[in-house]
Amino acid sequence: MTTSFDTATVTPRKSVRYLGSARSGTIDNKLMRLTSLALMPLTIFFVWLLVSLNGKDYFTIRDTIAQPIPALVILVFMLASIRHMQIGMVSIIVDYTHNRHMKEFLLYANTIFSFIIGCAIVFAVLRISFV
Amino acid sequence: MTGLTNTAPSAKARPLSPHLGIYKPMLTMMMSIAHRITGAGLYLGTILVAWWLLALSTDVAAFSTYMAVQNSWIGQLILLGFTWALCHHLMGGVRHFIWDLGYGMDHPEREYLAIGTLAGGVILTALIWLIAWLVK
Repeated sequence: MTTSFDTATVTPRKSVRYLGSARSGTIDNKLMRLTSLALMPLTIFFVWLLVSLNGKDYFTIRDTIAQPIPALVILVFMLASIRHMQIGMVSIIVDYTHNRHMKEFLLYANTIFSFIIGCAIVFAVLRISFV
Repeated sequence: MTGLTNTAPSAKARPLSPHLGIYKPMLTMMMSIAHRITGAGLYLGTILVAWWLLALSTDVAAFSTYMAVQNSWIGQLILLGFTWALCHHLMGGVRHFIWDLGYGMDHPEREYLAIGTLAGGVILTALIWLIAWLVK
């Protein structure tokens, strides 16, 4: 992130204002490590589930995913993935976007996209399990 | 630059640190950018997972539409790329975890880790597709 300011006219506090918190910045770093650790075994379970369902018909796949353990594997895997990817995309956006307004827009778009995908997946899994 | 920051017109051009174009491409550098690219690819891939699950939750017709796309050659290519991106990013994640624990940052360990990430991702992808084909 590029931050340039005239030190003769801008006081130090002004130069850091709105650029981020001094107290809670580590939460994303911690969540990134926590989700990546969780995703290592979850990815194996998820891929194993998909491989075992390869070539099966609609009703077999649906009945399998409606079971508690496959449904929970998908839900936990996808929700951890979405939080993980949302934090990852924040670092991509802040690294490559140098226009402040564009950056603000992209950060909101990232949050909204992640939230919608998360809701869609939760809705679909619950519908498969309960309808 | 726009917004809050203030760049005086008189500001002199400051020396820049060498950027990517100056360096000879190195494997560790390539694996770093590959980790980011595969991450961004997986980000978009969640749309396909959401589509697959929503189609499955709807009815046979919606699921058939999804499967027709997945079974087309472009669909299979995307699925293969998706599998590789997932495996490569997983291997890259293991490498970052090793680094977080404080190991593997010296030469030649970091080179071995870069080769391991690349090879591990490709081998794992081949293995998944082989098993998926065998159980079908």
